[in-house]
Amino acid sequence: MDFPDLSRRSFLGVLGAGAGTLALSACGGGSLGGGSGAGSSGGGAVKVGLVIPQAGVYTPLGVDMQNGWQLWLDQNGGKMGDYTVTTVTADEGEGPDTGVPAIQGLLQNEQVDVVVGIVNSATALGAAAQFAEAKKLLLISNAGAVAITGAARTPYVWRASFTNAQNSAAMGEHLAKEGVGPVYIMAPDYAAGQENVVAFTKAYEGGGGTLAGQALTPFGTTQDYQPFLSGVQESGAKAVFCFYSGGEAVTFVKQYDQFGLKATTPLYGSGFLTEGSVLKGQGASAVGVQTALHYSTEIDNEANTAFVAAYQKAYDALPTCFAMATFDAANVLNRALAEAGDVTGDALSGALDGLGVIDDSPRGPWTFSGQNPKQTVYLREVTMQGSSPINAVVSELGVYDQP
Amino acid sequence: MAGWFDANLVSILNGFAIGSLLFILAVGLSIVFGMMDVLNLAHGALYLVGSYLAVTFAAGEPSWGGFLTALGIAALAGLIAGGALSGMTEPLARRPILDQALLTLGVSLVVAEVLSIIYGNDVFSISPPPGLDGSVAVAGNAYPTYRLALIGVGLVLAVIVFVVVERTSVGALVRASVADRDMVSAMGIDNRKVKVAVLAIGSMLATVAGVLGGPVYGARPGLDDTILILALVVVVIGGLGSVKGALIGALVIGQVESLGRALLPDLASFILFGTLALVLVLRPRGLFGPRKLAGT
Repeated sequence: MDFPDLSRRSFLGVLGAGAGTLALSACGGGSLGGGSGAGSSGGGAVKVGLVIPQAGVYTPLGVDMQNGWQLWLDQNGGKMGDYTVTTVTADEGEGPDTGVPAIQGLLQNEQVDVVVGIVNSATALGAAAQFAEAKKLLLISNAGAVAITGAARTPYVWRASFTNAQNSAAMGEHLAKEGVGPVYIMAPDYAAGQENVVAFTKAYEGGGGTLAGQALTPFGTTQDYQPFLSGVQESGAKAVFCFYSGGEAVTFVKQYDQFGLKATTPLYGSGFLTEGSVLKGQGASAVGVQTALHYSTEIDNEANTAFVAAYQKAYDALPTCFAMATFDAANVLNRALAEAGDVTGDALSGALDGLGVIDDSPRGPWTFSGQNPKQTVYLREVTMQGSSPINAVVSELGVYDQP
Repeated sequence: MAGWFDANLVSILNGFAIGSLLFILAVGLSIVFGMMDVLNLAHGALYLVGSYLAVTFAAGEPSWGGFLTALGIAALAGLIAGGALSGMTEPLARRPILDQALLTLGVSLVVAEVLSIIYGNDVFSISPPPGLDGSVAVAGNAYPTYRLALIGVGLVLAVIVFVVVERTSVGALVRASVADRDMVSAMGIDNRKVKVAVLAIGSMLATVAGVLGGPVYGARPGLDDTILILALVVVVIGGLGSVKGALIGALVIGQVESLGRALLPDLASFILFGTLALVLVLRPRGLFGPRKLAGT
């Protein structure tokens, strides 16, 4: 009796991770020679690698990011500054085992000048060294790990999206100020979940709030949250703060309702809990859930109204923060290219640093601070608009820098 | 003690609900393994087919019509898929069992990819049929009615499967085939027919479990892996080829996943495989496994 394969995914994952490590070490030697090609292009053309998930659980995010990117190009005649843009799309997959080699391929085989995109933080962290070596710009439009523009910062990696801690810290301060009573924290037990828990706890306790307890649920293998929800009920919590996204967000919000907690204990979260396609799956169970995020389709400003209308016209769907951040990444890259007149990482990095206030973004005005957006975080509440749920803006929680 | 029981009643009930679902799922896998010595790695994919059929037919306004249609079509699809699987593994019957397992793994990858092409990669939630979509108060806490109903359905199915396998001549044939295939064959019974029937019924139970599990777990890419692993753990704990083993294994894992996680939240990711390891150390052939493994 033997089991040839208990879990094919974890088995393949091990293989993939092995291959990824090999690819990484190979690149350590290879890109020294390949790096000489950098900067040889230009002359009115810029080649951009768009790295997005096209297979696996993050695929819906990849679609949104592609749409955001394409929408900006379509609106601006496919030109950034004086450069005509050629986009090469690469599949990031689910993790660094597929993402890092994809980025390596773009840099070495396709000789792209700039890379935009990346959903997974581990992929972004794993690829950062390649950009430093090649002296090319990486402009991240999702991956939110604090370390990317924090401890592991390099001058060539910039981010146009958010950090995990930004949104959770805003919510922590808000709940402490509101005095909602003891809060119970729930998050999946992996890097992003832990970052959110730490940031929320620090901000919430710093504001004088008290915690009722916390539960870190096994990431990716939790189908049933009942055992943890019964812990919430026993703790006597008056509110729950959580960080879930994707499939887990749908299951969690549904079960939070089914087990009767929604009626007794208000649910708060980082904005990804109710962002994008998951909201449809949650349906009525999500109504009343309040979240903090740097974007909502309902933000009332001219740029957002135009963006939402154009996006709906082009793709017959509401934009998400993932589409918005990639749209914005195109916007700032355009400004930097116009400013620098050069596609090298050093020139673009310098130009991004001097951009000042980005005043025409759908999320409202923001600036780069430490290579990461310093931006307004919004308090949003899920409400029904006709038969479809939306994230209505309740208030602005203030402008937050990365921690 | 009574206080402890009250506080954990919801978790215990939930353990039974999850256990019921796991039993329906795992009993087919267990018997098929006993029959063929081959792990049907496509079992999880068949479950997911059932869940997506529930998405298709029970979408929109929840209705009994839609739910029962989904159940019926899933059962039919399961029977056909089981027959097809049986036909595909037949030419490999004389080859090492790894070849057959790889074939079912390949089938499961193809099925999962096709489902992802048809339904996309979004997460779907499935509403229970009307009347079962509310909650009832259990020891002061709300509990979803549908999960209570699931316990009942699981019990009924357990009784049916048990009676068929243990008390009828068809069941005797299946048990005999699990115990000693060659002897059954020597008595003039075509055990290929038995294999087709068992795979068809086993696969049907997987797709039916997919529909029944829809309102609990929803439908999404990757769910097939998670479900397959749960079913494997149940089968290994219960013992291969045994209905009683699948039932006890499912109930144990149901409680481990529910009550165990509620009592020991810090060990949540460890407790499932911890139980598996413990059982394998103490009873390497599972709680109700055969004394002598077929084929050894």
